[in-house]
Amino acid sequence: MTVNTRKPPAVLIVEDEPLIRMDAIDIVEDAGFRTYEAASADAALLVMERVDDIAILFTDVDMPGSMNGLELAAHVRNTRPSVKILITSGIFNVDQSSLPNGAVVIQKPYAMGHVTRKLQEIAAELDAPCDQD
Amino acid sequence: MSTSSDHLDGGGDTSADVSTSVAVLAPKGRDASVAVQVFAKAGIPSQSVPNLQALADLIERQIGAILITEEALSGPGADAVAQAIASQPSWSDVPFIVLANGTIARRSDHAASKMDVLRNAVLLSRPLHAEELTRAIRSALTARCRQYTARDQMEELQLRERQLYESEAKFHAIANSVDQMIWSTLPDGFHDYYNDRWYAFTGVPPGSTDGAGWNGMFHPDDQERAWQRWDRSLKTGEPYEIEYRLRHRSGEYRWVLGRAQPVRDKDGTIMRWYGTCTDIHEIKMAEEQRQLMLGEMNHRVKNTLAMVNVMVSQTLRRADSLEDAQLSIQSRIGMMAQAHDQLINATWTETHIREVIDAALAPHRTGEKRFEIEGPDIPIGSKQALGLTMALHELSTNASKYGALSVQQGKVCVTWSVESHNDDNTFRFHWVERDGPTVAPPLRRGFGSRMIEQALAGYFNGRAELLYDPAGLSFDLTAPLTGLTLQ
Repeated sequence: MTVNTRKPPAVLIVEDEPLIRMDAIDIVEDAGFRTYEAASADAALLVMERVDDIAILFTDVDMPGSMNGLELAAHVRNTRPSVKILITSGIFNVDQSSLPNGAVVIQKPYAMGHVTRKLQEIAAELDAPCDQD
Repeated sequence: MSTSSDHLDGGGDTSADVSTSVAVLAPKGRDASVAVQVFAKAGIPSQSVPNLQALADLIERQIGAILITEEALSGPGADAVAQAIASQPSWSDVPFIVLANGTIARRSDHAASKMDVLRNAVLLSRPLHAEELTRAIRSALTARCRQYTARDQMEELQLRERQLYESEAKFHAIANSVDQMIWSTLPDGFHDYYNDRWYAFTGVPPGSTDGAGWNGMFHPDDQERAWQRWDRSLKTGEPYEIEYRLRHRSGEYRWVLGRAQPVRDKDGTIMRWYGTCTDIHEIKMAEEQRQLMLGEMNHRVKNTLAMVNVMVSQTLRRADSLEDAQLSIQSRIGMMAQAHDQLINATWTETHIREVIDAALAPHRTGEKRFEIEGPDIPIGSKQALGLTMALHELSTNASKYGALSVQQGKVCVTWSVESHNDDNTFRFHWVERDGPTVAPPLRRGFGSRMIEQALAGYFNGRAELLYDPAGLSFDLTAPLTGLTLQ
């Protein structure tokens, strides 16, 4: 939970393709968020151990390493239920049952405006009173 | 010679069917001519023969019956007759009617043995009695006729047996010469035949897969499915078709296409099932390979589109004018296309660094010795090759606009090396510009510099740095050697 409401929420961007990761950072920062980055699910977990201000997980699905983006999202949903999850995928029609509850999916390649809008919707939920237990 | 076989035509006509006519040998007196006349009257074809040798010939030709006088049994040709009788086929027993020499009671052993040689002989006393003779000869001919019938039936059976044997031999030759495994079952599905291919493929002993033993030859994961499918066909009579893995004699499971059809009688009742197994392992593997390739292609195309998307949005975000952006986008897309060409020419997954660098710099070589390129030709992964191509494109384009390549005497040094320190192999790459205009750090950072410093380092899992030395721009990349082929 963000203690200081004036401080923008932090987004952890998990994407193995460096160029796409770079662009995602630009988009997310332009939307007014702080960012952390990781090139794999394993690296993302290390970042999450290190810092505790991550409010949103922004992850790709298909990545090398011991787990893919969906597994990472499920893990985060269990261990950090307050973290909002945004999944980007190049696969059309991602199986909804494989998604953690409340996860939002964005098709790749994504348009900047679309990502910004989704992030703002999620940020609005973060500001609202907590409705989950 | 007449081919007529009119039996009424009788006496001395050699053209009559030998098998239904009577040969008469009575060289002395009038017995022969009397007998022939009696037979002619009774409508029995007959012919008079001059000696034992001629008689032997007729025996060999399966004469119907023989009338002979007892005294004619001795003399030249007797051996030939004995020989002809002995060599008769098993069904044949030529009937003789012997006209006795004197009274029957006083016959010597020698005379009796002469008659025994004939095997099937009836003795008639003389003088000839027409009716007695006619009845005796009719009876002989009737018995002879039954022999012929027996012969015909036997020959027919032998022919059928031979045909059956040939047909079966032909079936086995065909069934064992095809590439497929062939099997057959009773209507209830009991397997009772497999061709040689089945045993050659599976390596199991003949007969060991009879009944339901075949199911055990299938891959454990396919057994239940195959059994259900087969059971359904047996219950409904619909053709059986399934792909499954069959254990090869090598122990390896190979993909096989199994098919079977029922054969029905005229009432529609299933008599047997005939089936085949075709080895489709190679086709199946090629198909799987193709699916993998398609998946990989799909992934790469999407990835490429995503990168183009990033490149376009990044270029537009930082462009001075729309015109500038258009030129940059076109040239960057051209560079990406060229990088893909190169990967296609290589193995898709790996190429060599020298090739990548030469290709990336080719559009910027202006004839003179503007580039010094030196380094070991080491393998580089497809992602790293694409990243390096993009970086070199940005560096070259920048050098042509503002750096060493924008003036006549300017030069660019491209060098790389692998340094070993204990167990760590470090890859170092340098781009150094000389003799160009004085360099000043840019006022704002464009796509090129950000791509080089952030993205490129990511591809190699290393560090990248642009140095705006007033004497010339330089770029350093340091990465673990393993970063060059990171997937």
